[in-house]
Amino acid sequence: MNAFETIIYEKKEGIAYITLNRPRALNAVNIRMRDELYEVLPALDDDPQVMIGIIKGAGDKGFSAGADITEFGTAPSQAIARQVRWERDLWGQFMGVSKPLIAAIHGFALGAGIEMAMCCDIRIASDDARFGLPEVGIGMIPTAGGSQTMPRLVWPGMCIANILTGETIGAVEAMRIGLIHRVVKRADLMSAAEGMAKLIMSRGQLAVRYAKQAINRGLDLSLEQGLEVEGELFALLLSTVGAGATTYPRK
Amino acid sequence: MPYKTIIFEKKEKVVWLSLNRPRIGNTINLEMANELVDACLAIKEDDEVRVVVVTGTGKVFCSGFDIAELRSVAADNLKQMNPASLSSNAVAGLDCPVIAAINGDALGAGLELALSCDIRICSQNAHFGFPETSYGIIPSGGGTQRLPRIVGRGKAAEMIITAEPIDAAEAYRVGLVSRVVPKQKLREESEKIAGKLISRAPIAVRYAKEAVNKGLDMTLPQGLRLEADLSFLLQTTKDRAEGIQAFLEKRKAQFKGE
Repeated sequence: MNAFETIIYEKKEGIAYITLNRPRALNAVNIRMRDELYEVLPALDDDPQVMIGIIKGAGDKGFSAGADITEFGTAPSQAIARQVRWERDLWGQFMGVSKPLIAAIHGFALGAGIEMAMCCDIRIASDDARFGLPEVGIGMIPTAGGSQTMPRLVWPGMCIANILTGETIGAVEAMRIGLIHRVVKRADLMSAAEGMAKLIMSRGQLAVRYAKQAINRGLDLSLEQGLEVEGELFALLLSTVGAGATTYPRK
Repeated sequence: MPYKTIIFEKKEKVVWLSLNRPRIGNTINLEMANELVDACLAIKEDDEVRVVVVTGTGKVFCSGFDIAELRSVAADNLKQMNPASLSSNAVAGLDCPVIAAINGDALGAGLELALSCDIRICSQNAHFGFPETSYGIIPSGGGTQRLPRIVGRGKAAEMIITAEPIDAAEAYRVGLVSRVVPKQKLREESEKIAGKLISRAPIAVRYAKEAVNKGLDMTLPQGLRLEADLSFLLQTTKDRAEGIQAFLEKRKAQFKGE
């Protein structure tokens, strides 16, 4: 199954695992990894055997140190870089996955690393995790959606302080500001992520996906429009369940 | 600087704006609001300024605006002559990062001024609140809009509707301030944050502020486009080339704002 070079894709009991697998480069996101993620995400979403995804990093050091800086400036021009960005919109695709995604974060989650985790629905971290958007320190801004996703997840006041200073924070502070949902010991990270996955898998699967959709679409709408989306999805769900669709996982 | 109600101090790349009517709680009257507008214009035109710190002299940060003055103003002119909105919009319009060094109570227009800053730190003695409804008015310097965007709807509605103040510990808990320090440490702590901001690439810092603030007024896909476009524009700066070079050579980057 695994024809990938920079990621590992595995499936077990309804869970798809995506492991960022460049441990010697602290799982930095290079062009190859972006292409492979771009390929694997729709496969995960389309696979009827998969109900939920867990994203993690290989190796001891961390989840991901961010974009691979050695590849910076390799695009022939800014115009071409811009064109490529939207031809294969990886981050848009990440946020468009209809199934729930859990990020299991250990060690460093910087730049595109934490930004990737912020494209997921649930973030669980080990107590040694460090989070940061250090881009302004190298003359950049976050470019994997971080300047947009972070203020939508945490108190905007905290978010702007973190982005403008480029400082890193620990797991406890990250949990305090709402960036992550749970902090556990390193040894317990995968069992905590799997426990969360199993909990979500015990719910109605279509309901879980529609709930995700209602929240994400609703945040971009006026309250009135958001309530309408919620009502439509509810009606759709009810008619599907009524028609005998199996929205619960088979025991 | 010929200001009467504020102190404008430029120390290298940092401008300290101190509200300076300590005997009357640094309340913002029209004169102070206009001086803040003028000071912010001067800051915008000065390319050397990289960070602004807003603070108050004396025991409080700012206890509100001078409502007595407004009684004689016709309703049509209120928009142009409201010290609360004049002062907070002036600060919110700055494109460099702004730190609120909240040295004591920040109430009404004082809290609104702090909400217009990017990073808020306060001394332990500070209280925060919108007393407006107890006077039969509502916050008019952006408080009803900026507070929910900072602490969320639940806490903002409680604070604005009840008009009950909260203390520094609660302000930290709800995300209104990012740090609480002893009063004598406030200046030092603000300087430390300002120093950190100055060490970053100035254009990137301004664009990051723009991406976060403007992006929150857009849908997520629109915001992502803004972020990407600003980032492609940054790729054309000398600072970005220097930043990557310095990273690869494992040395500290020397940014010039170019």
